[in-house]
Amino acid sequence: MKRNANARWQGSAHDGSGALTVDSATLKDTPYSFKSRFGDGRGTNPEELLAAAHAGCFTMALSLALVNRGCHPEMIETKARLTMDQSNASWIITTIHLETQARVPGLDGETFARVAEETKVSCPISKVLNATVTLDAELLV
Amino acid sequence: MKRKASARWQGTGKEGGGTLSTQSGVLNDTPYSFVARFGDGKGTNPEELIAAGHAGCFTMALSFMLNGAGFTADALDTEATLTLDQVNGNWTVTGIHLMTRARVPGIDAAKFAELASNAKANCPISRLLNASITLDAALAG
Repeated sequence: MKRNANARWQGSAHDGSGALTVDSATLKDTPYSFKSRFGDGRGTNPEELLAAAHAGCFTMALSLALVNRGCHPEMIETKARLTMDQSNASWIITTIHLETQARVPGLDGETFARVAEETKVSCPISKVLNATVTLDAELLV
Repeated sequence: MKRKASARWQGTGKEGGGTLSTQSGVLNDTPYSFVARFGDGKGTNPEELIAAGHAGCFTMALSFMLNGAGFTADALDTEATLTLDQVNGNWTVTGIHLMTRARVPGIDAAKFAELASNAKANCPISRLLNASITLDAALAG
């Protein structure tokens, strides 16, 4: 399976601007720039898209894993927080922290914690990341 | 620096549906689902967001490297194609191919190729991804 995206940049790195587009058109000439990446300028940035992809992948994988165990998850919500730091003058994405909450009728907390931890390790996006992935998982009652 | 995103899922993995949101609001309860991910259903999917993040990161990095060498691009266009394949029964992101076309006044092809290769190797998202990254970089017209 192949997924495509496109970036277009015009001008210099600091003062120029870019636009991102994906096949689904969820992003369509969506602005990004130095300011939207390293400051608080308007527009998206690669890091929040990575965080969204990871939150999305983990959450879908957790739902599938719970269903495979005969559970019926009603709702799963996950926040992903990506940290990028400077090391030897270059930017490095060091960690992604996932915080998930789920309502799964009839499931005990211990099993939920185990399935969530397994999903953190095995979801396709977790596996492709060279970064520390941490997880807080809470079963809502 | 921290970047945030969130995912919310309701119902089972295959028939349920989710939404993704990012800090900037570029994704704002944007739908995604099993069918949008593994078929041609409407909505986004984690893989195209990774491709967008990578295309965006590489292109901005290339802009910086050009500036550092005394050049400013009129336009840089990059397409990222992510491949998701089943490996031993598990979905795995195996590679991302970057194809970039650039209009950069005054630069020669060899210098451009060198800078593009550096951007591919060193941009933060390239270093984050544990997948084969390939590049086809050329000056346009």
